[in-house]
Amino acid sequence: MTQHEFDPRVKQLLDGELTLADLPAELRAEGEEALRLLAGVDRTSVSVPAVTWRVMAALERRRRRLWWLAPAVAIAAAVVLLLGRPSTPPTTLSATVVTVRFVLVAPGAHQVSVAGTFNRWDPSATPLVRSGTADTWVATIALPPGEHQYAFVVDGARWVPDPAAPAVDDGFGRRNSVLTL
Amino acid sequence: MQGETGGRSDGEIVRAVLAGDRERYAVLVERYRDRYARYAARMLGSADAAEDAVQDAFLRAYDQLAQCQDPNKFLGWFFLILRNRCFAEQRKYRSQVSLDAAAAVPTSDRSDVGTETAERRRALQKALMELTAEQREVFVLKHVEGLSYIEIAERLNTSVPSLKMRMHRAYDRLREQLRDHA
Repeated sequence: MTQHEFDPRVKQLLDGELTLADLPAELRAEGEEALRLLAGVDRTSVSVPAVTWRVMAALERRRRRLWWLAPAVAIAAAVVLLLGRPSTPPTTLSATVVTVRFVLVAPGAHQVSVAGTFNRWDPSATPLVRSGTADTWVATIALPPGEHQYAFVVDGARWVPDPAAPAVDDGFGRRNSVLTL
Repeated sequence: MQGETGGRSDGEIVRAVLAGDRERYAVLVERYRDRYARYAARMLGSADAAEDAVQDAFLRAYDQLAQCQDPNKFLGWFFLILRNRCFAEQRKYRSQVSLDAAAAVPTSDRSDVGTETAERRRALQKALMELTAEQREVFVLKHVEGLSYIEIAERLNTSVPSLKMRMHRAYDRLREQLRDHA
């Protein structure tokens, strides 16, 4: 045993199998030294709230890349098929959209966005900007008619339902605001 | 280990995600991200590195979710992915994990912690970074996460005697490192 090695009984103390009182008198000082070592153990929790949206945003980006690829392949195929054919009058589909203004008063916030069914719950897709007073955040977007669920995301981590809209339980302990157009 | 904290069980969520309900994966991330951030922070000596490791582990777990043979044991399965990520990071940056890294773990800087306690914590974290990853891990799981040797053995699929041997070597090395702070 070198001078740096604890006595086996002191190691049992560190393991919680013995108490200081169980040690013989000649090992008490070494036992106290060992316990001072454990006094430096830091059990404080470490919080990483941004991980949730970062993970989900990364998954969403991957999905979008796949979605972009599929139409690109389809368009390329269509171009090939249409070559040499007589041109036909283009068909115009005019989809009705509704302009919606999202507003949240969020004192002290540094960043606010809205995430919902219309943007695949991506907190980085639709940021709000400060308007008028420093605490008011707004975003204006066009949405198709129908029911949309959403929530505001404050500082990239805190999901807040819209206080001015009805909300439903998402089944996982969180409230989603509901917008019907 | 079957997570079921006030909602649907891990197994139900894993099965829902595998069936195409991708958004439900956020529930698992939310449920476990902080629990293992502490483990990763103590293993890597940096809260920022821990955050990256936890994020990466969740993405890897998503990619491999179909390989989670027992969805009810998602937590234990995920832990092994995070563990591998931490060990890989350790190998990658072994030369870069400076002794100053301990100061990057923010908990020691909390204002409600006394100077002496903060100094002890910094010294111990610094000494922990001098251990092998295997020695550090058993110390972190036992003394930071509060697991018993039996629980650690189950989690790492190893034996209690081998864990004790690893830990006892760690004690001696820590004693050597901390001589000035004893």
